[in-house]
Amino acid sequence: MTYFVFLLLVALIVGLIAVASNPTPYFAALGLVVAAGVGCGVLVGCGGSFLSLVLFLIYLGGMLVVFAYSAALAAEPFPEAWGSRSVAGYVSVYFAGVALMAGLLWGGWYEGSWVTIDGLKEFSMLRGDVGGVAMMYSFGGAMLVICAWVLLLTLLVVLELTRGLSRGTLRAV
Amino acid sequence: MTPVHFSFSSAFILGLMGLAFHRTHLLSALLCLEGIILSLFIALALWALQFESTSFSTAPILLLAFSACEASAGLALLVATARTHGTDRLQNLNLLQC
Repeated sequence: MTYFVFLLLVALIVGLIAVASNPTPYFAALGLVVAAGVGCGVLVGCGGSFLSLVLFLIYLGGMLVVFAYSAALAAEPFPEAWGSRSVAGYVSVYFAGVALMAGLLWGGWYEGSWVTIDGLKEFSMLRGDVGGVAMMYSFGGAMLVICAWVLLLTLLVVLELTRGLSRGTLRAV
Repeated sequence: MTPVHFSFSSAFILGLMGLAFHRTHLLSALLCLEGIILSLFIALALWALQFESTSFSTAPILLLAFSACEASAGLALLVATARTHGTDRLQNLNLLQC
């Protein structure tokens, strides 16, 4: 089990190297999907199944879908994946940098970070992360209301940014 | 440094470097920003889980809400760029034309 979580952590770093080396945005979105999927796996491995589900639904199912069809705005006739010369240069530099830092920070590598939450407790009614998120509705109610207003404000910001009529950011129409 | 701490820290730094050294497309910079947000979510969620401070579990949820706002503002700017300049390539964003 520990080795499986370790493999997921390696896959997270490899996925973000795939994004950070800046290929054509189709492939970068694929790398981000893989990184988010294995990030959910890491959270499940540490006992946070509710937070993992939230990440899957909201991040992958909401935000990354929007990014995926916005990648149609970045269409080019000869897409560059990770095999093309300049992108492969970035990939190799990032791999070398991560390997160097892993070699420098090798001490304390097997210390205790693999314990799942609620793993040492008795049989209980509340899971750890579900009970924690539920506090957002009781003691964190003010933050929830602020969040809702900020989301409404963001909707107005987005509509204003793409309004057009040569007065805002959109100047061609 | 524990492996978990090392992996989300290096994920953050990789996303930051990808954002700093972006090459041709504006959308690839926005995707690196999303990678930074992902590493921050994993970091906050693992804080709440490994230190067993379960009331901190609301922090990654709120981070996700605000990051959705930021992603939508970034995509609105991308759409405005693509409709004004015809493409989102950064070499077209020169200030002498409108």
